Amino acid sequence: MLKNVTLGQYFPGESLIHRLDPRTKLLATVALIAIVFVVQGFAGFMLIAAFVLACAASTGIHLKFLFKGLKPLMFIILFTFILNLFFQSAGNALVQVGPVKITDTGLRMASFMAVRLILLVVCSQLLTLTTSPIALTDGLETLFRPLQAIHFPAHEIAMMMSIALRFIPTLMDEADKIMKAQKARGANFETGSLIQRAKAMIPLLVPLFVGAFRRAEELALAMDARCYRGGAGRTRMKQLKFGRIDLLAAAVLVLLLAAVILLNRFVAF
Amino acid sequence: MKKPIIEARNVSFTYEGAKKPAVDGVSLTVMEGEFLAILGRNGSGKSTFAKLLNALQLPTAGELTVNGISPATEDDCYEVRKSCGMVFQNPDNQIVTTIVEEDCAFGLENLGTEPAEIRRRVDDALRSVGMSDFAQASPAMLSGGQKQRVAVAGVLAMRPRIIVFDESTAMLDPIGRRDVFSLARRLNLEEGITVVWITHFMEEAALADRLVVMDGGRIALEGAPREVFAKTEKVLSLGLDVPEMMKLTRALRDRGVKLPEGLMTVNETSLALRRLPRSQSGAAKSASTMSKSVKAHRPVIEVNALTHVYMPGTPFEAKALDSVSLRICEGEFIGIIGHTGSGKSTLISHLNGLEKSAPGEVTVNGVDLGAKGTDLIAMRRAVGLVFQYPEYQLFEETVAKDVAYGPTNLGLDAAEIDSRVEWALRQVGLDPKEVGEKSPFELSGGQKRRVAIAGVLAMKPSILILDEPAAGLDPQGRRDMLDLIRGIHDAGTTVVMVSHSMDDVGRCCDRLYVLSKGEVAYSGTPAEVFLHDRKLHEIGLDVPECAKLARLLREAGFDMPEGIYRAEDVCDAIVRNLRGGEAAC
Repeated sequence: MLKNVTLGQYFPGESLIHRLDPRTKLLATVALIAIVFVVQGFAGFMLIAAFVLACAASTGIHLKFLFKGLKPLMFIILFTFILNLFFQSAGNALVQVGPVKITDTGLRMASFMAVRLILLVVCSQLLTLTTSPIALTDGLETLFRPLQAIHFPAHEIAMMMSIALRFIPTLMDEADKIMKAQKARGANFETGSLIQRAKAMIPLLVPLFVGAFRRAEELALAMDARCYRGGAGRTRMKQLKFGRIDLLAAAVLVLLLAAVILLNRFVAF
Repeated sequence: MKKPIIEARNVSFTYEGAKKPAVDGVSLTVMEGEFLAILGRNGSGKSTFAKLLNALQLPTAGELTVNGISPATEDDCYEVRKSCGMVFQNPDNQIVTTIVEEDCAFGLENLGTEPAEIRRRVDDALRSVGMSDFAQASPAMLSGGQKQRVAVAGVLAMRPRIIVFDESTAMLDPIGRRDVFSLARRLNLEEGITVVWITHFMEEAALADRLVVMDGGRIALEGAPREVFAKTEKVLSLGLDVPEMMKLTRALRDRGVKLPEGLMTVNETSLALRRLPRSQSGAAKSASTMSKSVKAHRPVIEVNALTHVYMPGTPFEAKALDSVSLRICEGEFIGIIGHTGSGKSTLISHLNGLEKSAPGEVTVNGVDLGAKGTDLIAMRRAVGLVFQYPEYQLFEETVAKDVAYGPTNLGLDAAEIDSRVEWALRQVGLDPKEVGEKSPFELSGGQKRRVAIAGVLAMKPSILILDEPAAGLDPQGRRDMLDLIRGIHDAGTTVVMVSHSMDDVGRCCDRLYVLSKGEVAYSGTPAEVFLHDRKLHEIGLDVPECAKLARLLREAGFDMPEGIYRAEDVCDAIVRNLRGGEAAC
């Protein structure tokens, strides 16, 4: 059933990367993405790929999950690849059919862009695979807390995200139930023209929204009953604390950046 | 010396825009350490009163003191909520976060407690409700009873002196209900927490220290459960019920058996009966109830070795149905019983082709639902399916339009649809003229459910399947709903009712199927099934109270026919066993 699916793609574990502070992981992912953009040649990519794969291997997560996230983006990656391949006129022609030609520079550019995109996706994938959604929201809330000084609602946004995460499986389950009930009354969600199908959704959406509002009201009451008064004066049971491993992670990233810069300088590939 | 912890003097509360107050001049004192139950039909004001106790609402008149505070300002409310926790009805709608222990910490975090102290109290609270092993679990993976225990832990962590349970067991199955009730009772006895327990279940109320019955916003009855339930007529007239044993002993007294008043539990009743002089003959022969006439009609639904696996090939793979076979004949009233997760709901979704599985075969009126080219719309016309809490599926602007949804999907002409809508609404005891043009969202809970059932009836199915049709209703609503379904059955429809109430299926059904872990554990007439009372208890189900009494008496040497479970039959058998009983017959 739908409710048995954990949301996001978090894989619980005890590895070094799992134990990193979520803020470290968030910042590290941003840094890693920045480093990917610093890279100028394939040598740098190979280094980063090796690094990411080593990280992934240390978490004990099967590599296939790491690349699963590529599937929905395959189209964009391919599109970028082809665009670069065909519309690069500089360089020596490798293949030429009529006005369309593929040059060596084009092939290099296309592969470069594709690899860059793949690395970007895999990096963020590593973050969501090793960090629970709740830790992610906590991390984001703490990172954005300084912005509260300029009235940025960091706590409210984090609370909303956390409630959304909590209720998405519940609402999916409910949608499934309502759909079955309306099907039992002869509803047809699968066939018909686009307009007919859109109309067929009304008996699903109205009860779903009514239900969501009812739940929201009850939840608000339950939160009131447990003394919720917004973010002011609130403490957290789990305090985010930077430890030695976070320092280590920062050091590793600095080294990685240095290595990439050196590779850019001295290796032409 | 116990002190009062809640004091209400003439407390009233009127919702904005309402003409009548929801709580109307209630005066009530609750002592520290008391376990107080509040009963009352839907709309009697008990939930509103609960919200006043928790300062979620403030009285519009009168004076209310909770733990020494009369809430007036927002800060007072905050203080009241600290000392008076509340557990709500719907387990899903009171859990805030995606990890059990984080949710448990929510209240303390709001209070600004030190992190180390939160940690300690959360661990204590989870241990106290027996959920330590689930500290890291996601609430979505828990059963209803477990979720309610998490909710209790969340309240408990705040170290309240009072906990208000607002129908917290209404949406649970018997195991969950027993679990949460005994947890509340234990917290009350061992930790001295005052409990206000609002419920629709008489057997829970019977175990409270004191009982308050509300009606129309006022206190209608008050006293020890025995005293209150002894006023049987009054209690029934308030839309409630009395414990089964109370009714039985009353019937016995009416037939001249000298039993004291106020017997509520099976054990008490059995002990009292064993003290009475027995008839010497011992040959109080009684007809066995086992030979109930079984109607030999043609089968309308046949299920053969049906197996259903959820999410095959994933870590969440689970067998929801394991080689289930059953046969439902024309004109029968079949009960399907089992606790949450036993596969009941999955099974009925197969009976009109909403779900299909292999291996296994489902035939309706001789047509194989799995075969290619089976007209599923025709099947859904033949088999009407009413899901749990069907009122949550209403969507149209008016009741009439909503009921018309099914017939319209069948492609009927307008005149036929209109006449069916009218007919279906009358079938469920509603006046088409009165409610037809109303919005379904304006109706009361019980009426909404009737409209939803009418929506299925309007398709004129020859077989009607209902999943927990009486769930969450108050006792009167429950009785009315069962009467309604019996009426539909008497009018010639084959009925399948899914339930976890043995009392309900015992009262209505010709035959039962008991599901446990996706398999048919027992099947047969209610009498045949209730013979397995011990084993049923092991899988989390109970037999009706009268059947329990019959067993205890049989073990004490009474001549009680096997498988006896109806109050009238048990009453007859007891009278025959007692000295002078034959004369009274």
